[in-house]
Amino acid sequence: MEGKIIVVTSGKGGVGKTTATASIGAALALEGNRVAVIDMDIGLRNLDVVLGLENRIVFNIVDVVNKRCNLSQALIRDRRIENLFLVPASQSDNKDVLTPLGVQRVAKQLKSEFDYAIMDSPAGIEKGFENSVVAADEAIVVCTPDVSSIRDADRVIGLLYARSITPRLVVNRIMPEMVARGDMLSHEDVMDVLSIDLLGLVPMDNQVVISTNSGVPLVMQNQSLAGQAFRRIAKRINGESDLPIQIPTAMNTGIWSRIIQKLGLTK
Amino acid sequence: MFNDFIKRFSGKTSSKDTAKKRLQFALVYDKLEINEMTLENLQKDIVEVISRYFEIDTKSLQLEVQREKELSALVFNTPILCVKKNRALKS
Repeated sequence: MEGKIIVVTSGKGGVGKTTATASIGAALALEGNRVAVIDMDIGLRNLDVVLGLENRIVFNIVDVVNKRCNLSQALIRDRRIENLFLVPASQSDNKDVLTPLGVQRVAKQLKSEFDYAIMDSPAGIEKGFENSVVAADEAIVVCTPDVSSIRDADRVIGLLYARSITPRLVVNRIMPEMVARGDMLSHEDVMDVLSIDLLGLVPMDNQVVISTNSGVPLVMQNQSLAGQAFRRIAKRINGESDLPIQIPTAMNTGIWSRIIQKLGLTK
Repeated sequence: MFNDFIKRFSGKTSSKDTAKKRLQFALVYDKLEINEMTLENLQKDIVEVISRYFEIDTKSLQLEVQREKELSALVFNTPILCVKKNRALKS
């Protein structure tokens, strides 16, 4: 059976695209799928360090697309998670070296060899974005609960619809305490504003910084709340579509918040 | 949490409600923005269609988007020099 190309995109930078790509990719591999994660951020590669594979790079995606090597030569196998592979970006080229046609050719090959190929798109909506979405079967839009990221997500969602791709949304870095206080948009608010289906909700988690520091995939840390959220997202992608979406909740249930909840004063 | 109560009863809106309102407004406004190229192409097309029926003064025509509080309108203004007679006869 042919695999799927999934693009992870956001418009705005710094909302957690790379972390999401690495985590969802690793989680899908842990579910028993053959997975390739592809860094499409040419010139600003980072997926390799997030996954802790930076010192094993020989070839990159630009080499593959421009036929300087085979796909198999550029694939870096993760030694901790079976069936997880990385195709790194090139650090010395700029985003214009790839062509949609070339990307489509490589995507075809990826689909024949993997169950999932996840493309980590660069920020922005220019050529790098075009190249990342050109072969996509599905799209995941990542946003955080702040106005700038949601506005950019809306723009990207429009661009994806224009290509007949129906994206799904991951709201990242939710801080339940702030949401409860009314100082942060809740996921319901975000869904009211954007016309898109929800794929998952990821809480703010210090463990993300720690696991990125050491290059260990987040989903391997069992105590990580964000890691657990990404594992559920992966399950939902992988056919368990009726798995309920967990809403991040505040850790401290103080007397006041409990009374407010009882009185039904919070939404 | 106590602050929350004060906020609730003092009638002050929470910052997230402000954020939501601003966002909804921004998204609507963003979608109404038309780039120069689209406007030029549109003008070319309109002129082409109208020119089949009328002789128009292409130098003094105007195409613009007028924005008001509640709605946006596309306004096309052109002086007609004469109706093309042969066209009317044909039909």
